[in-house]
Amino acid sequence: MSVEIEFTDDHGSAGGFATEEMTLNMGPQHPSTHGVLRFVVKADGEVMRRAVPDVGYLHRSIEKIAEKVGWHGFMPYTDRVDYVAAMTCNQAWAMAAESLGGVEVPRRAEYCRVIAAELGRICSHLLAFGAMGMDIGAFTPFTHAIREREMINDLLEELCGARLTFNYLRIGGVAWDLPPDYAHKVLRFLDRFIPLVDEFDDLLSNNKIYIERLADVAVISPEMAIAYNLVGPNLRASGVDYDLRRDRPYSVYPDFDFTVPVGKGTWGSVGDCWERYIVRLHEMRESAKIVRQALEGLPGGPVIAKVRRNFKPPAGEVHIRVETPRGDQSWYVVSDGSERPYRVHIRTGSFSAMSIIESLSNGLMIADLVALIASLDVVAPEVDR
Amino acid sequence: MREYVANVVQAATSIFDGLSVTFSHFFREPYTIQYPDRMPIPVQDTLPYRYRGFLDVDLEICTGCLACQRACPIDCILIETRKDKETKSMLIETFDIDLAKCMYCGLCTEPCPTGSIHHTREFEGADFSLESMVRRFIKEPVTAYKPKKKGEDDPVVAPILERGKRYIAEFADPKDDAPAAAGKGG
Repeated sequence: MSVEIEFTDDHGSAGGFATEEMTLNMGPQHPSTHGVLRFVVKADGEVMRRAVPDVGYLHRSIEKIAEKVGWHGFMPYTDRVDYVAAMTCNQAWAMAAESLGGVEVPRRAEYCRVIAAELGRICSHLLAFGAMGMDIGAFTPFTHAIREREMINDLLEELCGARLTFNYLRIGGVAWDLPPDYAHKVLRFLDRFIPLVDEFDDLLSNNKIYIERLADVAVISPEMAIAYNLVGPNLRASGVDYDLRRDRPYSVYPDFDFTVPVGKGTWGSVGDCWERYIVRLHEMRESAKIVRQALEGLPGGPVIAKVRRNFKPPAGEVHIRVETPRGDQSWYVVSDGSERPYRVHIRTGSFSAMSIIESLSNGLMIADLVALIASLDVVAPEVDR
Repeated sequence: MREYVANVVQAATSIFDGLSVTFSHFFREPYTIQYPDRMPIPVQDTLPYRYRGFLDVDLEICTGCLACQRACPIDCILIETRKDKETKSMLIETFDIDLAKCMYCGLCTEPCPTGSIHHTREFEGADFSLESMVRRFIKEPVTAYKPKKKGEDDPVVAPILERGKRYIAEFADPKDDAPAAAGKGG
């Protein structure tokens, strides 16, 4: 696929020298694009006139695979939709299949799902925090973030046996119950972790140079955010108070008491890069709160409902929305009553975040493009599926 | 001008805020593990019980039911069985697992009735060719295992079956003691 750029501006001349705008390729292999992304940048000196994202390098046709492997067999593939936070994608698929097949999920399984998903959210936001610092040029926060992420990976490994592609959820519940003494281990981790989030503030967020670098850069107004379909932390940083876990509750989220962090414009304006960064940092604290409450209120009982091995939901269609760390991920699943889904479509938050880059890029510095991509927390495989 | 100086001062001091955090790590316990040559215990022993490493098959307790082959979403397991006309028992002729293709999802281990196919905690399998990643478990045809109603009495098979039963007990069956242990942790 090629991207065509219309050169609308005149080739200006300054001081008698003929100058012209330069077309640059940023990516597909570029350290700051978080995967295989390509931007075609039209730049006038250091100021961009236009940056067009070229997506599709990581397309693995996951939606088509679903039509081949069947309802149970597709679960490991959902890990690969967004590998940074696989648990929430697992949850979306499980919810879609359960809602089609009319499966009642045991309450304990829902709690296990929430615990796993919120640990995954902390994991994902830690990576976003570290990568943000690294893209701006601060390497140290990345090592701090990855260190804590390893701890969560260890916890999740104990829970489900894998560190990244969890495949923990099943249609009708979860694969395993929490291992013995798990609650204690998680709580011990959270007790250590939450003071470290305050430490991250000292390390990076309150650094004057960092603030100056990000405040008032690439401001997205609330109207623009809604018009471009931004979701999740990116939307909330623009001042729109909307979180699916609270406003369209699914699973057992109504049981928990948590606040939804919204951008306030602390240093610059609402919706700038710094706000998008700090909203994620606050969300880690909120996720930790949810995990604590879930562990305290953990009910007993089975963790998986009886689901037939050749699961055949009746014909119908369903639209499931799940709040992933990258926002509202919606799954549209059609069943024709056979042992394989007829059609699966996934709409992800990273994709709509990519679409806003083009309209923001006019007048932005090239170096700020890196800050913008990092602050949108785009994960390349989620863009393409 | 005053604002400019204040900004410079704030920028300088906030650098030291960050550096103090970095400096404090001199006095904290290190997290780094010197892998692989200076591990006090083998790395496999540090992994949790549920760890999904290479697949292994205990042919002594394999019933040849093909449940794992059907559950695998990417067809990395190949099993061929044949009915022996003389003894009227089932013979397993082929049991290949392509570990290069396997995505370690664990879906094959769940339907196994005896826990014969299971994940080990081995994960270091780098090799020079994809061919060598195909594990062929069967050299010559073996008789499929038949579960006995009275329980296993063969001294060779019994401990293997016990390991398999423990492995499948980890899955969906909720343990009676587990909710209490997990719920009172806080």
